[in-house]
Amino acid sequence: MNPELKFTDVAAELYAPQKRKDDLKGFEYTYRAEITSIYPLTEMETLYRIQVVDPEERRRFAFTPGQFLMLEMPGIGEAPFSISSSPSIHGEVELCIRKVGNLTNFLPRVKRGTHVGIRGPFGTGFPMQNMHGQNVLLIAGGLGLVPLRSPIAYVMENRSHFRDVNIIYGTKNPSQLLFTYQYEIWRKDDIDIEIIVEKADKSWKGPSGLITDPLEDILSGRDSEYYHNTYAIVCGPPVMFKFVCNMLNEFHIPMQKMFVSLERRMHCGMGKCCRCNVGSTYTCLTGPVFDYWTVMNLKEAI
Amino acid sequence: MIFRTFEKQELKKLFEILAAHNRIIGPVETGRDRDGRPVYAFADVTDYDDVELKYSITKLPAKRFFLPFKEDLSTFRIENDTWQKEISYNVDRPLIFFGLHPCDINALNKLDKVLLHSVYPMPYYAAKRENMFIVGMDCIPQPYCFCRSMGSDTALHGFDMFITDLGSRYFVEILSNTAFNFLKNIKTSEPGEDDHVLYMKVVAKRNNEFTRHVDTTDLTKILDMEFQSEVWKEWGDKCLSCGTCSSVCPTCYCYGVDETVDIDLKGARKTKMLHSCNLIDFAEVAGGHNFRPGRENRLKYRYYHKHRGFVEAFEESLCVGCGRCGESCLADITVPEVIDSIRGSGRNK
Amino acid sequence: MEAGETGTRTYLGVPLYRPRVAFFEFSSCEGCQLQILNNESTLLDFLSLVDVVNFREAMTGGSDDYEIAFVEGSITRDDEVKRLKKIRKKAKTLVALGSCACFGGVNQLKNRFKDINKAKKEVYGRHPIDSEPVRTLEDIVKVDLKIYGCPVKKEEVEKIALHIAIGKSIVFPKYPVCMECKRNENICLFELGEPCLGPVTRAGCDSWCPNSRAGCWGCRGPADEPNMEQMKKIMEEYGFSEETIMDRLECFGGFSSLMGKGNTK
Ligand SMILES: Cc1cc2nc3c(=O)[nH]c(=O)nc-3n(C[C@H](O)[C@H](O)[C@H](O)COP(=O)(O)OP(=O)(O)OC[C@H]3O[C@@H](n4cnc5c(N)ncnc54)[C@H](O)[C@@H]3O)c2cc1C
Ligand code: SF4
Ligand code: SF4
Ligand code: SF4
Ligand code: SF4
Ligand code: SF4
Ligand code: FES
Repeated sequence: MNPELKFTDVAAELYAPQKRKDDLKGFEYTYRAEITSIYPLTEMETLYRIQVVDPEERRRFAFTPGQFLMLEMPGIGEAPFSISSSPSIHGEVELCIRKVGNLTNFLPRVKRGTHVGIRGPFGTGFPMQNMHGQNVLLIAGGLGLVPLRSPIAYVMENRSHFRDVNIIYGTKNPSQLLFTYQYEIWRKDDIDIEIIVEKADKSWKGPSGLITDPLEDILSGRDSEYYHNTYAIVCGPPVMFKFVCNMLNEFHIPMQKMFVSLERRMHCGMGKCCRCNVGSTYTCLTGPVFDYWTVMNLKEAI
Repeated sequence: MIFRTFEKQELKKLFEILAAHNRIIGPVETGRDRDGRPVYAFADVTDYDDVELKYSITKLPAKRFFLPFKEDLSTFRIENDTWQKEISYNVDRPLIFFGLHPCDINALNKLDKVLLHSVYPMPYYAAKRENMFIVGMDCIPQPYCFCRSMGSDTALHGFDMFITDLGSRYFVEILSNTAFNFLKNIKTSEPGEDDHVLYMKVVAKRNNEFTRHVDTTDLTKILDMEFQSEVWKEWGDKCLSCGTCSSVCPTCYCYGVDETVDIDLKGARKTKMLHSCNLIDFAEVAGGHNFRPGRENRLKYRYYHKHRGFVEAFEESLCVGCGRCGESCLADITVPEVIDSIRGSGRNK
Repeated sequence: MEAGETGTRTYLGVPLYRPRVAFFEFSSCEGCQLQILNNESTLLDFLSLVDVVNFREAMTGGSDDYEIAFVEGSITRDDEVKRLKKIRKKAKTLVALGSCACFGGVNQLKNRFKDINKAKKEVYGRHPIDSEPVRTLEDIVKVDLKIYGCPVKKEEVEKIALHIAIGKSIVFPKYPVCMECKRNENICLFELGEPCLGPVTRAGCDSWCPNSRAGCWGCRGPADEPNMEQMKKIMEEYGFSEETIMDRLECFGGFSSLMGKGNTK
């Protein structure tokens, strides 16, 4: 018998029938995408609009609110970012990115038209359809408004499916407020919006305090019918969502109807690098969106 | 399953026939430690006399051949301010592993579960795994082996053929058609009833030689209950956060990714490097926040991943009980001792 | 191409920054500078990224107009202090190149002798020259970036030049040498009966010394939050004397701030 082993090419066509070739190829596949617009929002954050180049791929690239993608700039870095735009537009996403490290500092320097690689979408999203016929509280602190813009867009496009919708958004100081130009548009869609800053400055005319202040006002004016028929999406730093969710809980909104998005270090988005683990749960697979009951039961979560 | 026996000198013949046409990785001696004991490693072998079939254990597992410490996931050609991505799975020929012990075969089976048979299978691993031919070899239990407690003392699958030393001759289990064909190159015979008896005797004798045990009953629950236990702090105080335990572990697979630009600016690469959850930056994010700032947080997480998370996902732990981590840990942190202490901390309360 | 001027060179559309750089040395062996010159295959690429206006090892003359100063060596004399301050004034960025500049390096060993005159005699025989306790650059001026190593790794300096050009941040491994040592499949020196500072020393040298079966002397200084107490215990357990441990820890000066302290966290 010939004692020479034959080489098996897992990328070859012949290998495909048994072993899901497409899955294997998908692992490192990046959509080529173009940065079509770069819009500085604050000193630290910039909004990028990114479009998948190939029309066929563009059609296929769909996501649900709450999901994230991996954005790659060759040689500079690859990192996860929440998709911050309407899920009804395929193959085009908006990302709002804060300058904190290698990739995020490089991106504001590139020109419109630059090509990047994107992988994904990854992770779980907010169960928007389950919320139909219900009241929705959309609560964000700081950069948390970024992932919240996708469910906000969904709610606006499907406004008739929802009852009362409140957005509550807070930052440390007024200069950190994101998407200030959109608040009026949201209001026009019969969405109630409360903006609050922790430290007001001279220019600030709105209320100042903690995000739980307007939340308490909204909740205390309601009855149990409201509490039983309300969903909450809470995005922001852990301390913030902990306080917010505790307050929601005091008003007997069930923990399974509160959703938060967790952030951890990520290098793959596919349950392989283990960097995103909370206790022993993969944030990239089982999250980043979790209901609060699950979060309470995760070791290391808050 | 098909069984055969063959005379001992036939193994050399088989090796030489295979070696003439294939690249073979086997256990070799790479030095002596300060007590004069041999130190073994898996390396390329072309000469049968270099293969140490009676090796105790290798310091490092065969991992680097299918999960290299450092590997390019992709390279980029940079031209005119744009890029082309090129992907290679970094393998171009099959490898024969000659003499893997049951623990190391079981380690591969565990890795298969997460890297091949779960969502997003990993092609870099798959490509290498598909091109492995494994000759398993029985072993002599060492004082640090607790594979029997982990259910990894025998390999049921994941190899092409498995050889057991019956003293006078070899007994071989054949799992693959390729192995069956290879064995046609040497003289083998159908085992008789006496071979079966002898085989069972050899296995029974080996079973009695295990001295290290660890109780894993209800471990997933106990780890949860003892999450705040003081014992973790004690182990954390000893730990050097050096990552050696993960580097020498046949089942640790986690990694980091780094992108670099070539100095001539004409290319770039995306490199995967195996990491360790004991290293300080494992869970650190840009801006400096560290989700596991203390040594004890990180050490604890290592046990969480191996003995809780993996069990939840795949009904078995991510540890084969080879004992390598404890043997290599300069701080003498061993899996059986850590697990015992966690169980004990509950009892003392 | 002129310094600072980026010409047409870009990376993915982003203009490169080509700084004017100068190299200076104080009390040192100049080995670090030699490292940079010693690989001809990448030297031209390196020189295309930076505009070297002053490099004693490589050129005569040299200009005083620079943005980044790479400074090698430790400070032992008064005139050196003055010169260093002058460099600091001119340079936008001051880089400490090598362990002498970062920690004092081997030079600082003489600080161990209580009587500086005795040290002088031992070192310079009967011709004592003006020599004060060894100081690091940071003892005197602000240092913007430290490149560790004795000598530095050429690849690391090249990478830094590249990162300055494309605007990537410069980061060093936070973990210890053992990680690289295992990647290189070395037999641990403790097993061979030799001492090694790998478990507490910052990686990045690709475990240079253990690769040739020599224990690490800690030339790159401590890793992030090294477990010094455990390191000392291990040394003792493997039968090495307090003196052996101290010799190693004090050799390059990187650990001086951790001396006497046990657990750093
Ligand atoms: C699910 C998810 C959604 C996110 N959405 C946004 C967003 O919409 N806008 C935004 O500005 N930021 C977001 N982040 C954070 C963002 O990923 C980090 O700011 C980014 O990774 C920093 O990369 P860098 O190369 O600039 O930093 P470096 O410090 O150079 O980081 C190197 C690598 O470490 C990993 N890493 C470092 N920090 C983080 C982190 N905080 N989270 C995950 N990985 C990290 C990445 O793989 C990164 O490439 C999100 C993170 C997660 C996990
Ligand atoms: S357990 Fe041991 S080998 Fe692992 S990181 Fe800690 S000291 Fe190093
Ligand atoms: S954790 Fe230790 S004993 Fe378990 S498989 Fe890994 S190296 Fe072996
Ligand atoms: S135990 Fe730690 S080092 Fe091993 S695979 Fe899991 S996360 Fe990685
Ligand atoms: S030789 Fe040194 S660096 Fe290498 S593993 Fe041993 S202690 Fe660590
Ligand atoms: S092994 Fe230690 S002494 Fe040797 S180069 Fe690396 S850090 Fe320096
Ligand atoms: S990001 Fe890699 S496992 Fe989750």
